Amino acid sequence: MSESSMTRPHTATAHHTSLGVDNRKLGVWAFIGSETLFFATLITTYFVFAPVNRARPDFQDPRKFLDIELTTVLASILLASSLTMVLALSASKRGDRRNFTIWLLATVGLGLAFIGGQVYEFNHLYHEGLTLSSSLFGTTFFVLTGFHGTHVAIGVIWLLSVFFKVRTYPDSPENAMDVEIAGLYWHFVDLVWVAIFVLVYLI
Amino acid sequence: MAGHHEEQSSYAHGEHSHSDRFYWLVAGVLAVVTALEVALFIVNEQHLIAKWLEVTLLLILSTIKGAAVVMFFMHLKGDAGIFKFVFLVPLAFATTLLLSFMVLFSGHVGIAG
Repeated sequence: MSESSMTRPHTATAHHTSLGVDNRKLGVWAFIGSETLFFATLITTYFVFAPVNRARPDFQDPRKFLDIELTTVLASILLASSLTMVLALSASKRGDRRNFTIWLLATVGLGLAFIGGQVYEFNHLYHEGLTLSSSLFGTTFFVLTGFHGTHVAIGVIWLLSVFFKVRTYPDSPENAMDVEIAGLYWHFVDLVWVAIFVLVYLI
Repeated sequence: MAGHHEEQSSYAHGEHSHSDRFYWLVAGVLAVVTALEVALFIVNEQHLIAKWLEVTLLLILSTIKGAAVVMFFMHLKGDAGIFKFVFLVPLAFATTLLLSFMVLFSGHVGIAG
């Protein structure tokens, strides 16, 4: 870091609550809590309608449509992105701008790769005859995984905006907190995929 | 405002940080667990183990993965109690919701059928 620390933003205490924690971080954790309920509702809906799907004349068997190889690659991509995200946070706290840039942009790249893979999967399923309205399986599957993919897309935009905001001084307390809360959201998106991967694709 | 100063102090000293090597280690464990999940799925395509056993093992493995992500990558382990509260309480509600509906509607084809 060649720049003088005197020029860095010093607003570390500007966002603290009476609880002694950063209010933005508390807000993101509360948001993650609400998102947990949101995705739990979608997963529950998927399972509640699974036996209904089997009993209907327009039944479509999930095992005939879901590709475990592609999904394993997508799961690995998101897990790898969680690693690169936490390495970016670690580098930002050390003031290591080079590694911060590498790891954060790697996270963005892996996020884009996941979205690309999901678009490929959706397109493949569509041509196989599984659509949002073809069966209850199609409806619940696309709503659940589509909302997750949307969250990944929002995460990519969030990470890019944080990168351009903090890249000059990633180690200032204010900026490191920006990276940390964006990372919390990103890890949550990975966490949701951990659940979807097992509950929808493997079970 | 003691908590305020503690937070600032812990932040300044990077209390929540582990070494990069530790994060690589966690990622390695996550990769191994994911490989085990997929292997279990492939094995059970031949119906070599009972379905209930497969489901139980998959849930255990995914819980290990999720817990590792939350504790080490999200740094909830060792973080302020209020963060644990606002995440774990909804998670408990979500788990209860899922299990309750699974019990209530298990095999039920009456709605929207």
